[in-house]
This record gives sequence, structure tokens and C-alpha cells, in this order.
Amino acid sequence: MRKLLLSLLVVAFTVPVWAGIRQKKADKDTDQFRYEIECAGNAIQGTYLVKVWSYSKKASVAENQCRKNAVHGVIFKGYGGGQGCVSQRPLANQPGVEAQYKEYFDSFFANGGEFQKYASVMEGTTETVKVGREYKVGCVVSVRKDDLRKALEAAGIIRGLNSGF
Amino acid sequence: MKKYIFTLALGLVALVASAQIKKPELMVIPSDVWCISNGFYTEIENMGMTVKVPNYKQALQESMELKLAIAKLNDLMAERQFPLQSLEQTIKNLEQRRMEDNLTLSKAGNELAESPLDEVARTAKCDIILELSWEMKDFGPKHSLSYILEGRDAYTGKAIGAASGTGAPSLTADVDVLLEEAIVANMDNFNNRLLDHFTEMQTIGREITLDVKVFANNAAGIDLETEYGDDELIDIINNWLQLNTVQGRFSMPYASENTANFTQVRIPVYDERGRAIDANGFAKQLSKMLKKEPYNIPSKVLVKGLGRAVIILGEK
Repeated sequence: MRKLLLSLLVVAFTVPVWAGIRQKKADKDTDQFRYEIECAGNAIQGTYLVKVWSYSKKASVAENQCRKNAVHGVIFKGYGGGQGCVSQRPLANQPGVEAQYKEYFDSFFANGGEFQKYASVMEGTTETVKVGREYKVGCVVSVRKDDLRKALEAAGIIRGLNSGF
Repeated sequence: MKKYIFTLALGLVALVASAQIKKPELMVIPSDVWCISNGFYTEIENMGMTVKVPNYKQALQESMELKLAIAKLNDLMAERQFPLQSLEQTIKNLEQRRMEDNLTLSKAGNELAESPLDEVARTAKCDIILELSWEMKDFGPKHSLSYILEGRDAYTGKAIGAASGTGAPSLTADVDVLLEEAIVANMDNFNNRLLDHFTEMQTIGREITLDVKVFANNAAGIDLETEYGDDELIDIINNWLQLNTVQGRFSMPYASENTANFTQVRIPVYDERGRAIDANGFAKQLSKMLKKEPYNIPSKVLVKGLGRAVIILGEK
């Protein structure tokens, strides 16, 4: 009985610690927002459909960061067009906006942060490619860009179309 | 006491309301190319040449696709808190105004030199015209839709920005579906350009062109070189523009004793009472100044659309 309790305790402590280590690794790997973003097709009104390629030494880690990178890409990078896709400018296209609102974006992109509300990974779209000593993982993500834009406008980070009127 | 508080509150509300700048008005119209290639035009004789003029009324009455495209654009712009002006309603108002104008003009003995687009823009009092065109292209069994949405400043006719592209070839032959897809995909890029334009307009004003001319052998006996004190009339007009344009922005590419052209004249978007000013309103302000002492110059202001006005000095 004691042995069973002890084992349970060990598991109870180890799992969150292990999860924490994995998350830290994920954060470390993606802290620089090293990813590529491209159009994945025409989306329904109010959303962008993007394919994000994230990099990490662990394939599962990169996959977890797909949503975060997709939202980051829509806000700060935009993406190119071609093959029927229309290129899109980033939502925040003022230079230095990320650094200017660092506090906001640190909290926005924190684990469990607000970014989660605006992106969902399309099931069955994950691709993994081994590149040297790390993995490049691609996911198709649907980003709710209209809601995201409204949130950024409300926070005063970007100008709305009716600003000043 | 209650009355006093009520009046004060009303005054405050009015003050807040007047401090708010009015939103520019936008309207979608089908482009000339689309109207003509789809047979929605009328032919008129102009100085010995046959000219095709778009027939917006016919297009709205006969093209369901156009109505759908306008409705979709309206939906997307309303989502950005910029509902569009209705072209259909504007045309009805225009017809009413034409009837009234015909009576007035025959009495005055001159005519307005305006294109159908100018007329629509002026009747709708819209600031920006969104010109829309699309075309279906066939690639074997597949179809693709090419789409252009072009924003034009109703005042100057200058392009503000455009969103265009050709969709991916699809087996769907339904124009409505492809058109809606193209509008949704291109709207953000278009709105980004619109936002740039609004920012510029709020900063440096609205652009117009102003021509100042002098009636030959006018009763006032003046031309642009007539002297008032140390200054010639053209200098007085220049000084007035310097004071009344935003940041003194205008250029004068040509001036002689009888004519002066002012281009890139940046006028305030609204006057001190919060009313929108167009080229005509701005020209009338100049005309009023010249009518006063010590100049006493009568003048005639001609309307040439929202963004161009001509003042003819010397007579009414």
C-alpha cells in the first residue's frame, strides 16, 4: 500500500515537472519566433488560413507552437500570395510595434495567453520534416483575423479604419 | 434652474458632437470597363464623336451579380464601421436633381460640365468612389475570376489604392461564389490602403485643383496683374491660399495676367462649423474675400465636380 502511494506521489510530482520542462524547451525553441508562414488557401470570412512551419529539436514541441507562431505571423509578418492566394500585409505594420508594446505581447503570447483564442490547428494537416539536427513541423492554422484585429484596435496597438472620425 | 442645467447639457452635447470629424462617405460603382463590356452603356454624341457612357441604372436593374457584389462589399465595410452609400438611392436622387437642374439651367443659359461619375459623386456627396470590375476566364473545364477594386478620390479623381488578383482555377462556374471569394480575400489589402489615405487626409487635408481666370474686357477692368497697394492681384490670391490651405500646401504651375492654375491645393476637410468643404465651397470663400473692400471684385464660381473649381473674375 505504501509502495503504491509512493508511486502515485512520484507520478503526481513528475508529470507537471516534466510538462514544465517540455514547455520551457518549447518556449526556448520558439522564443525567437523562428518560423515560416504561407497562405494555405482561401478561408471563410473573418479568418485567414495559413500554413506555419515551426522549428524545434523535438517534433512534438514545434507542433505545439504552431498556433502561437500563426498568430504572431498574422500580426507581424503577413504572408505572400500566389496560386490563387492573396498576399496579406501584417495587421501591425508600423515598424517597432512589437518592441513598443512588449509588455502587452509578452502577456499575449505567454503560455495559455490570449493568442489561443484566435487560432485553431486544422486536424490532419501536420507534416514533419527532419532538417539536420532539428525538426521542421508544418500545420495549417485558421486564424480569426477579424477578432484579432478588433482586439489590437481596442488595445490601441493598431489604428482602426474609423480612427480619427 | 432646471432649464439652465438642461440648456448647459444640451450645449455640451452639441460641442462634443461638433468636435467629432465626420466620416468620409464611400460608394461602390461598377467600373466603366465592366459596364461597357457587359452592355450597360448608352451612346451619346459629343463634338462629333460617339462616346459610350456607363448606364449605372440599367446595370443595377439587370445584373444580379453586381447587386450581390455591392451587398458583400457593404457587409464587409459595415463590419469595419464604414457602411457604404447606396448607388441605387443616389441614382434616384440624381434623377430628381436632374429634373430640377434642367429647369434652372435653361434659365441661366449655361450647362454643367460634369461626367456621369461626377454627377453621382456630387449627388451622393461621397468622398471616395470604389470602382469594381471582374471577369470570368476559362482554362479548359476550369474557371477563374479576375477581380479589381479600385479606390478613387471623388474630389481629384486620383487613385487611392487598388486590390486585384486572379483566383485559383476552379471547377465551379458559379460567378457569385467566385466573386464573393475574391471580395473577401482582397478586402483587407484594400482597407489597408484606405487607412493610409485617411491618415494622410487627416494630416494634410483634402486635395483639389483651383483655376482662376479673368473675363476678357470685364466691367471691373481688372486682371491678375492689377495692383492693390504693393501687391498684384495674383500675389493677394497666393497669400490667401497660403493662409487658408492646410500647412500652406499648394502649387502654382502656371500663371499669366489672365489665368492662374493652382494644383495640389490641400484644403481642410471640414470648415470651422464641421461642414464638409469641397472645391466649390473653398472657391466661394476666395470669391467672398475678393468681393470685399478694398478689392470689390465680382466673380463667378463654376462647379467642375467635387475636386475642381474655376473662379472667373471681373463679372458675375
